[in-house]
Amino acid sequence: MKYLIFDAGPIISLAMNGMLPVIEKLKEVFPGEFIMTPNVKKEIIDRPMKIKKYKLEAIQVRDMLERGIFKMSTDFIPQDKLDKEVKRLIKVTNGVLRTTQTGEKINIIHDGEAACLAFASLCKCDSAIVIDERTTRMLTEAPKSLERMMEKKLHTPIDAQLSLLDELKGFRFIRSAELLFVAYKKGLIHVKKSKDLLDALLYSVKFKGCAISSKEIEEMKRLA
Amino acid sequence: MKEAGNILRILRKTKQFIEEDNAFELKGLSNQTIHSATISQDADNIIIAVLVYSLGKVLERDHYRNMEGWTEFYSSVTKNLTLAIKALEKDNLDHTRIYLGRIRNSLNRISGDLGRYIKDVFKKAEINKAFKLYEHGLSTEKTAELLGVSLWDMASYIGQSHIGDAKVAISMPVKERIKIAEDLFG
Repeated sequence: MKYLIFDAGPIISLAMNGMLPVIEKLKEVFPGEFIMTPNVKKEIIDRPMKIKKYKLEAIQVRDMLERGIFKMSTDFIPQDKLDKEVKRLIKVTNGVLRTTQTGEKINIIHDGEAACLAFASLCKCDSAIVIDERTTRMLTEAPKSLERMMEKKLHTPIDAQLSLLDELKGFRFIRSAELLFVAYKKGLIHVKKSKDLLDALLYSVKFKGCAISSKEIEEMKRLA
Repeated sequence: MKEAGNILRILRKTKQFIEEDNAFELKGLSNQTIHSATISQDADNIIIAVLVYSLGKVLERDHYRNMEGWTEFYSSVTKNLTLAIKALEKDNLDHTRIYLGRIRNSLNRISGDLGRYIKDVFKKAEINKAFKLYEHGLSTEKTAELLGVSLWDMASYIGQSHIGDAKVAISMPVKERIKIAEDLFG
């Protein structure tokens, strides 16, 4: 069984572009489950249900959850076990970077992102995390770059204990952009296939928060 | 309240720039607060970053000054800033927070469009500051939590920026990430 664990960002960027049906189409060809943690549900359903501007999208995602397109993480892993792992991972990740001057820890990630990592860590299965924001990805895939970036932005030297992150090296990440790429290649988007369509799809998620560069988009178009 | 000394300096400068009608310097001052807010993640630092940035934005919109309620708002800003500075000089943190809170609360008493416009400036400033924290390296959810803004509001803001184009943000070659996706879907 494979698991695709969704952070809030990719669902938001796809929902804001009217591309939620693509998730459904992808689910039909995916040999496994699409997972949503309670933290993510809170951000993409519970909270926007109270914000008129985003209520429609929240209702659509809730409908997908009710129809089993997304499954709650609690169907597979008990919440208390997940919470415990979230706490542990937050402790690990948020203890990595400290300011050299004061030794103060910099808390980088939050429960929502940590819950995705925790599920992937506990399920011991073939899984990947779908996440659009760059920080969590950088923390596990290129922590040295994150350290350098923060030093530059904060104008202060930072001490990093990168060895603490060794246990996170096994996580795999994709973005909403890769989901759309796969959907495009598999012909799951009901518009005539063309490089223009792929360009439009990838830029649509970029403009709704997916951390992808124009250079990466050009490369994806070449690879399609 | 972390870094009370730095906050006192920022508040004094804010008062000075408001008296000098210097919106540009006010916004620059707000950026300074973001560096410390990223590290401390202290609510007071963040509130002040939002307040200073919003005041900069309000001051640069000249037409606000001719609107009904401007005098009341301006006088609330200067009066409460002075009181907040005096309270912080005496290490009275609770009073500092109360006086700073009164600046925003004063908007509820302004009739006409001005109150609504400035409230909108504050709301947009919160999203702007959340984005700045993300730009400084915190995750989107961490920043959304610190500022109390929704991830939905942040998504478009991040999308309009060039943040994803930074070379440093590319943590894996495109080809490899596509392979992960294609392998998963078979």
